[in-house]
Formats: sequence, C-alpha cells, structure tokens
Amino acid sequence: MPETPSGSSTPKGIGNFVKKQSEVTRQGTQKLKFTPTLPARRKKDEVKPEPTPQAVPETSTAAARGRGRGRGAADGGAGSGRGRGRGAPPPVEMTASGPFAMGPTLAGNQTRRPAPRADFTPAVPTASSSSVALGQNLTRTTAPTLKGLDKGKAKVKEEEEEVYSDPDEGVEIIDMNNIGHMDWMAPESLREERKQEKVKIDSDVADTRNALDLSESEGEEELEDLIEDFAAKNDLDTDSTLREDRLYFFQFPAPFPKFTNPTSDLHHTAAPAELVAPQMQAESSTKRVSFAPDTKQPTTPSSSRPSTAPPSELPKEEPIDGVIGQLEVYKSGAVKIRLANGILFDVSAATQPSFLQQVVHLDMENKHLTVLGEVNKQFVASPDIDSLLNGMERKDAVGPTFEGEEDLIKMGIA
Amino acid sequence: METDQEDDELVAVLPIHLTNALALNVQLHQFPLLNRPLQVPPSAKLSGKRISGRIKPDIRRLELHVPTDTRSEVWNSDKARNLGAAQIDDDIEKKQERQKPGEGEEPRLNEIRLQNERIPQRGAQMLGVMRNGKLNLHPIGETHQFRPTLTYLDILSRRDRRSRLGGSDSETDDGPPPDPEEPPPVDVPKRDKKAPGPGKEIQVSAGRADDKGSVSTLGGLSAVRRDMLRAIRAEEDEEWCSLHFFDTLTDESATVFETMFSRSTDVLTTNDDITLFLRDIRGL
Repeated sequence: MPETPSGSSTPKGIGNFVKKQSEVTRQGTQKLKFTPTLPARRKKDEVKPEPTPQAVPETSTAAARGRGRGRGAADGGAGSGRGRGRGAPPPVEMTASGPFAMGPTLAGNQTRRPAPRADFTPAVPTASSSSVALGQNLTRTTAPTLKGLDKGKAKVKEEEEEVYSDPDEGVEIIDMNNIGHMDWMAPESLREERKQEKVKIDSDVADTRNALDLSESEGEEELEDLIEDFAAKNDLDTDSTLREDRLYFFQFPAPFPKFTNPTSDLHHTAAPAELVAPQMQAESSTKRVSFAPDTKQPTTPSSSRPSTAPPSELPKEEPIDGVIGQLEVYKSGAVKIRLANGILFDVSAATQPSFLQQVVHLDMENKHLTVLGEVNKQFVASPDIDSLLNGMERKDAVGPTFEGEEDLIKMGIA
Repeated sequence: METDQEDDELVAVLPIHLTNALALNVQLHQFPLLNRPLQVPPSAKLSGKRISGRIKPDIRRLELHVPTDTRSEVWNSDKARNLGAAQIDDDIEKKQERQKPGEGEEPRLNEIRLQNERIPQRGAQMLGVMRNGKLNLHPIGETHQFRPTLTYLDILSRRDRRSRLGGSDSETDDGPPPDPEEPPPVDVPKRDKKAPGPGKEIQVSAGRADDKGSVSTLGGLSAVRRDMLRAIRAEEDEEWCSLHFFDTLTDESATVFETMFSRSTDVLTTNDDITLFLRDIRGL
C-alpha cells in the first residue's frame, strides 16, 4: 500500500502496480497510486502514529474507526455500504484489510492468526434508517442443518479455534465458520479444505498433487459409515416417539424381483372372482401378480386410484410382507445383500446429495401429505458380477426358458 | 473380485423385510435448492403459521407453501409488499385466486411456494429403515423435485417494461432495443461480446429457433407445440384442492410410519434370479 501522505488532491489515475512504492513522489508522477473512490489514504496519517490495535484506545471513536478500518474487508465496490464505529457514523470509506493494512511496522506487533484471512466484522449500517444495530435481534441459535451432513462440520470444529485479538466494544469478531450459529436464517459456511496435511507429501507424489485427489478423507469416512449404518444394531433405546430410525435410500437395478407371499400360492390356482385388474393375468408366467381372495385388500392404494384412468405404469401390487433376504456386513466394510435364488448385490454408498430429501406419504383420498422423515443416506446396490456371470452360465446350461429363444442368436460364453 | 474375499469375515447379518403396505403412495420429495430441513421458522411459528399445501389431483401437481422468516434482520418488508401484490395479481391471472386479503390487510409475500415436478426413476428405488436389527424396505413410488415458483416476478417485469417503454406492451422474444441500463438478455454471453451487434443478431436467431421445432405448421403452431399448450392450459384450468400437511412430529406421521414396517416373518419367494437384470439392460 503506498505510504505517501495524502496531498491536497488525489489524482484518479489507475496505477501501474509494478513500480516500487518508494518511487512515488508527492505530486505529478503519482500515477501508481491505488485510487479508490474515496480518499482513504488521507486517514492513514491518523492510523500510522496510532499504537498497536490491542492498546486501549483513548478516544473511542477515533480508535474504533481506525481499527475497524484496519480489519474491515476492502471490497472494491462494496465499500459504500459499510460504516464503521459506534457513535459518530463515519462517511463511506474504503478500508484496507489483511495483515499489511497498517503498514510494515505494525505487522509484526499484531498477534495475527496464522492464516491471513480478512476478518469479517458485521456491518453496522448506522446510516440506515433503523437505529437498532444489526445483530441485536439475531436469534443466536444454530441454523438447522440436514441430518446427513453433520459429520463434515463436526470434524471442522475439532480443529483448533482461531485466536483473535480482543474485540473492541461495539465490534464483534465473527469467525466465518461459525456464522451458522448466529441466527436461524444464517447461511451455511463452506467447509474448510483441509489440504494442509495433504500438501506435505514427499516429492514422489509431487506430480500427482495437482491431479484430482480422489482419496480424500471423505472416502475413508464413507467406508466406516457403512458398517456404522448397518451394524450398529444395538440401539440404546427403542423409544419410538423420538423416531431415531434412520431412513436410507436404496437404489436397486430394475426390475426388482417380484416376491410373493407363500400363502397366496395356495389360492393362486383358484381363479379369484374379484380380480380388480384382469389385465395383470396377461403377464408372462415369471411374474405372477394375482389377488388372493383372502389377502387384505389395501384400502388406501386401490381406492385412491380413480376409476377413470389409473396410470398404466403403476400396476396394482399384491400386498407383500415378509423376509426377502439378508444384509451381510463384512469386516472389510463391504456390504452385501443376498436375496433368494442366489441374487447377490454389492452395496455401496451413493453420492450424497447436499439438499433436503424427504420421504412422504401422499394420501389422495383424504388429501393428506405426511412427511415420514428425511433421508439420511443413499446407497446403491449393484448386482455382484461373479454371481451374475455364474447365473448366466447356469441359464445357458438349462434349456430355453422363454419362448422364442430358439430364434435368437446365442452369444457364446466359451 | 479380490482374493481376500474368502478371508473377509462376516461382522453382522441383518434380515431384510419387504413390504408394500403403503403401496405406491410413498414418494420421495427432493428440494434441490434447500439445504436445511423444511421447517417453519421460529418467528413465524409464534404467529401461528404452518406449512400448508394444495394439490391439483388429476395432474398431480403439488404446491407447498412454507412460511418465511419475516424478521427485519433477514427480510425486506418493502420489497415483500411489492412482490405480494404481484403474487396476488399473478394468482388472479392464472385463475387461482385464493381468499382475497381482508380489508385493510396489505398483500404481503410471507411464504415460499414450492412446486413439484416428477422425476423419472432410475432403477428400483426403495426406502430402507433400520429398526431392531432389521432392515425394512418399502418401494418408493414417485420422485418429485420441488422448486420455488417465482411466476409473480413476470408480472413485475412486465410492469416495469411497460412503464419503461411507455405503454407498448412487448411480449415477444425480441425484447426492447439494447438498453445500456438494462441487463443484457441471456443470449448475449453465447455470442461474442460486441456491443450493439448481438442485439440484432439475437432477434434473428431466436426467430429461427422457434421455427425449428415445427414440423407441420398449421396456423403457425406445430403439433408438438399445440400439445404442450393444451397441457399447460389444462393444468391452469384445473382447480386447486387444499392439502393437509403433516410434519414428522405429528401423530399422523408416526402412525403412517409404523405401517411401513413389516409385521410378518414369512419368507417370501421369487421365481426370478440374478439374470433378471440383464433383461432390462438396453443393448444387451
């Protein structure tokens, strides 16, 4: 920052930043002066002889103004909205920020935090109509967050808290990471990138440092979480009012195998008279969707479908209820789902969305929309390739299982 | 697969239950622009506001109305008043008048309206709930994404444009001549950033793009476009029905949630095996 004392007038030339500041003369060739719209440099004189910012200011307004300027963010265009200080509203002023704001002499004296980040003091627009200072009515509660995303934030909090110099009265120092705690409507802060540890790799890996680091800590988190999500079955309390059951979203490959109740098989031979959807019987033999007369007709779904035009892609389903398989959690963190007939899936964590996802139940009859809960995590189940290939082999060994297969060309699996 | 699969020991085995007691009425609602839970802000809750909704049953269009936080620290009430008036006009235009505000009550924008769009599902989506060492699965019927509807802004911009052009109501895509005060139209970044040239070019290209979609033009409208307009008009003509919204903390929600769980321990059978998935892979 140029240290020339301000002249009577500041020329408005945009500077050539390459030149050294010492070469600036007072008049004439002041071409390399950084010229904001307002003469901030004028006040540098007041600031320089001022002692270190931690010193208790003798005059409140002047010192507050000075410090506020030193710490405020020096936005190029946004300086117009910020007033600093408590009582006397200073005119709109540009500020310098960062550790070099006070000039080189004061840089070493300040107990600045290690990472030079522009501190963010809340703008107290004393020029605005409301006489109440901003920040008075903030709820000072934590803004609500989604359940699945808490882990990342918790990790950040464990890191050491930044130490700031004592705030002056009227000025509150706020860490950008803690903005979420200020108010109910507070925005989310971006997660800090913990790249410091990763950068200290030996030179062998230097080339890959610029490459996309896929093995970030998030990958390791997920693996442990799979075990946590499923294997932590020793729930402390079964208090259903708290509804601590976690909702997971599973994506299976389509089509999901059709399961049938074992009891309905007995009645399947007898043609049920009150088949509501006779077109279902035209399905191929592998899919048996039939209404056994004694199974309880689900009142809500079938009656909610208007008699006029049920959407064709939502066929009525027989109510099923029972065990279809098991979920196996392995020590390595692999999770598999094993269903009947040798159907095996590998379960892995899907990309977690950062937005809200809710599971709801829509009752069209009563016009009720009931929220069942938030989805905590997403998982993808993909068929296990080995068993898939084995299944294909077995199928080829058996004869044709569906009509027309003889006409099809068989791709040889030698 | 890796060779250490045999050495991999089982840590836990959980039975999986499947039920479709709620059948296909279980839906997944996504809120892509929201990263906090759908809640009434505490300040609005004190004044008795709740999340409500309305639905057009035939086309299954849902709208959720979420009250906003109208404290002065985070809300601009002047602007809200303008936007509220525009919203009322917009509703009247779309024949969706709600109860007119009482006499003396100013129209204020104090809620966000989220409208849904159905998203096609990839694969078979299931909801899984862990409870008592069991995983309960329930199929998810539809997936919807909710986004705020800001159609009242159209009215405001129309008013502004009208006032600026002094009465000439231009609703065509041409737009006013390039006005240095106005933000440039969206197409400008796509072309080179030369000053007044793109204005004229855009008009021409926009016209061309319009004609591209028309195959058989009868009276200037293609069949596709006519269908679209018909669908839009049908949607606008349908009446809203009010919808009761129940949050997770309500009894209703707890009841419905419980019905999602499997009650029996019968083992279900299937005739399908793993090669079932090959059937639906396109190209295989």
